[in-house]
Amino acid sequence: MSDSDRLWEVFARRKRADAFEHIGCVEAPNSDLGRVYAWQTYDEAKWFEMIIAPREAFHCVNRAEQPFTLHPSAEALS
Amino acid sequence: MARFTDDELMRKVQEGFIVESEADMTESYKKALITQLTVQGDTELMSAPAYFMAAKDAPSTNTMVSATAIIQDEMGHANIAYRLLEDLGVSRDELLYERPPEKFKNPYGFDQPLENWAELVTANGLYDRAGITLLGDVHRHTSYGPLKRGLVKVGMEENFHLRHGEVWMRRLCEASGEAREMVQKAVDWMFPMGVEWFGMPDEKKHHNAQLDFRLKGMTNDQLRQTWLKAVVPLCDELGIDVPAHVNPDTEEVELEFEFPVQYDPEAKRWLLDEPITWDQVWERWRNRGPMNEQFVDWMRTSRQAVQGVLEA
Ligand SMILES: [Fe+2]
Ligand SMILES: [Fe+2]
Repeated sequence: MSDSDRLWEVFARRKRADAFEHIGCVEAPNSDLGRVYAWQTYDEAKWFEMIIAPREAFHCVNRAEQPFTLHPSAEALS
Repeated sequence: MARFTDDELMRKVQEGFIVESEADMTESYKKALITQLTVQGDTELMSAPAYFMAAKDAPSTNTMVSATAIIQDEMGHANIAYRLLEDLGVSRDELLYERPPEKFKNPYGFDQPLENWAELVTANGLYDRAGITLLGDVHRHTSYGPLKRGLVKVGMEENFHLRHGEVWMRRLCEASGEAREMVQKAVDWMFPMGVEWFGMPDEKKHHNAQLDFRLKGMTNDQLRQTWLKAVVPLCDELGIDVPAHVNPDTEEVELEFEFPVQYDPEAKRWLLDEPITWDQVWERWRNRGPMNEQFVDWMRTSRQAVQGVLEA
């Protein structure tokens, strides 16, 4: 990951009424490229909807560790 | 770290405990996981230049598209493994751009040139089958939650690669004598390569951290046998000769050569009557195959070129 990259968590759902699933993560310097990378990388299904958000936007409610990978230094990456 | 001791963690994961964070790991667990993910990432990544080399021989635009789609999938699979490594504090930049080529942990098979369409589809049929065998086992058994989730996408796509390989092997075998001869020639050197892919036999490898920590579920020999049981009947059905057969009594596949044996990479030929020791296999692997440097170089050049333009 280069200095200007951020982590973008990728969520998707296959069809209407499905819940969003956390399907992966991409690195990109901005949300536009993040959207392109997410769409190109996670092309294993015909998604009804795919969304991304920067990892640092997520906060754990009930645990001490960071969400997703729960890596203690995840914050340092943002 | 150190929420558990090694022994406690081993017992817990055998009972189904899923590790989600570094806080759940021990040093040895983390080390074994990093090794596993590095092998996985490097194998996916180095399959891309190998497939790319042969995709240039695609017989039509449509086949070129499907070959390129497979290459794109493999890059995506590599991305998943390297991402997980980054979350464990490993630098992907260092892994990809600063390691000397001989430090990449991909199997010897992806250090070899794929030189025509028959070799590409045979690689899909045999090597992607090896990938499915190995990663399918990891997917079912791994105690590491993030990897289990990451492998959902990988499994779906690997099945497509395998189907591509098998359908095309069949197609070539049903065509002219020359086309089937090309498949036979590809299988001749790629089949023993696949047998070796699964590593040392169980009797030589007593301690295995990946099994103890449930990073995988099956032993090398069990995985090898699973692969053989798929590949040998396929080749039989296609009328392609392989130095192995199914024993009708045990239903196990038996090799018809004394494994392991020596390989001549220049001639792309196995010396099936020249058995060697595992030390000699390790030495051959360490010396790397003919395309190792070139493949790493292909993966690196475009980034260097783009970076040069960006910084100009
Ligand atoms: Fe793959
Ligand atoms: Fe594949």
